[in-house]
Amino acid sequence: MTPSLEARGVVRDFSGFRALNGVDFSLYAGELLTVFGPNGAGKTTLLRILGGGLRPTKGEVRLHGESVDVGDREWRRSIGVVSHQGFLYGQLSARENLIFFGRLFGLDRLEERVAEALVNVGLANRSGSMVRTYSRGMRQRLALSRALLHEPEIVLLDEPYTGLDAHAAGALRELLESLKDGRRTVVLVTHALTQGLDLADKVAIQVRGRFVRFESKDALPTENFEAFYREVVETAVEAA
Amino acid sequence: MTYLGQVWAIVHKDLTIEFRTKERFAAMASFAVLVGLLFHYALDVTVVRPQDIASGVIWMTVIFSALLGVGRTFYLEEEDGAMSGLLHSPIALDALFVGKFIANYILVAMITVLIFVVFAGFFRLNFGGHFVALIGIVSLGAVGLVGILTLFSAVSSRTRMGESLLPVLAFPLLVPVVVYGVDATTRILVGRPLSEVAGNVRMLAAFALLSIMAGVVLFRFVVEE
Repeated sequence: MTPSLEARGVVRDFSGFRALNGVDFSLYAGELLTVFGPNGAGKTTLLRILGGGLRPTKGEVRLHGESVDVGDREWRRSIGVVSHQGFLYGQLSARENLIFFGRLFGLDRLEERVAEALVNVGLANRSGSMVRTYSRGMRQRLALSRALLHEPEIVLLDEPYTGLDAHAAGALRELLESLKDGRRTVVLVTHALTQGLDLADKVAIQVRGRFVRFESKDALPTENFEAFYREVVETAVEAA
Repeated sequence: MTYLGQVWAIVHKDLTIEFRTKERFAAMASFAVLVGLLFHYALDVTVVRPQDIASGVIWMTVIFSALLGVGRTFYLEEEDGAMSGLLHSPIALDALFVGKFIANYILVAMITVLIFVVFAGFFRLNFGGHFVALIGIVSLGAVGLVGILTLFSAVSSRTRMGESLLPVLAFPLLVPVVVYGVDATTRILVGRPLSEVAGNVRMLAAFALLSIMAGVVLFRFVVEE
């Protein structure tokens, strides 16, 4: 069986600074990889490469075994990105935001899709309100809806829990659980150890641009994960 | 999705936000009216004939008004990281430029009409039978103007200096618009035949074409990392 998403020796340099130093992983359709790591580990750089915002200096990204140019427009049809920013326009309504992004993707049945998407994230009754009037949690649900509107097979989540209260984080978690439908491959970058671990099928710990651990969740001490994570990071930092 | 569909999506989105907030239009319109008012009081019309200086004043007002409005076009995309959302979509980057250009042009065209009305009122200018020719010349010059400003507002929005960098970058390139636009407008205002402005119109058209081509080709290098 061919992995859905692979990274092979991905390196990214910024003016002499190596932000990513040979990242390798393979994910099969339906798997969710959570990437943990301290600040400056290169997690967001990795997501920016997978999201097409940056090209790797070396290495390659593969989709179903085929090497892809992450800067290519066709690659962007395969991915949906949710960040701590919503990529939304506050002066447009939720519906108008989704219609706009749907047009960029050239989606058919757009009105119907948008209506369904808003129902799925529980925003149908506020679909006509300007997004600037939304709470942080509502914006994040709308951002997820935007990212999934074109039904991408790869979903990239960059710190989606940032700024959410417990209730909003719980609502988002339920939506993220629904992504694990066996069709999508998800990469989640987060500092939220408990939430990230709960959702994960595979876990990576990234330190100084490298995956120092990349394991199935079953192979990890989930009961005492925080202590394990700290030890792995400290050991990797000392060794570097 | 066709290329034109993507262009339309950008134009529709930008104009919807602008007509809803009127932020840029209000700034541009206020500036245009205030300039007209200040010149009205600053000029002694018993010494200077308004039609002798009107073309220069009108063009400079159009340019500075456009700078105010077009300079903020990419700040719409900075809020909540919307630019990243665009870059994660399959939009052709030149379609993004063209969409921004058209939305900006519509805004500048509306302000240009207002500027003509304001200056006609304050300076009692009689555009006479050449009103259409005047609008044509300014509209053509505005294509080049908006093309350059749209491209360089993308550059300035990605720098720490922000909007303050825009005039420094754009004004040297706008010299042809000022030179040929002012000359053509002056000739029309003093009643010279239209055939006298044909050369200026050709230069303005060439500059308009060049500015759009430069924007279409160079825009991706500005927004891609």
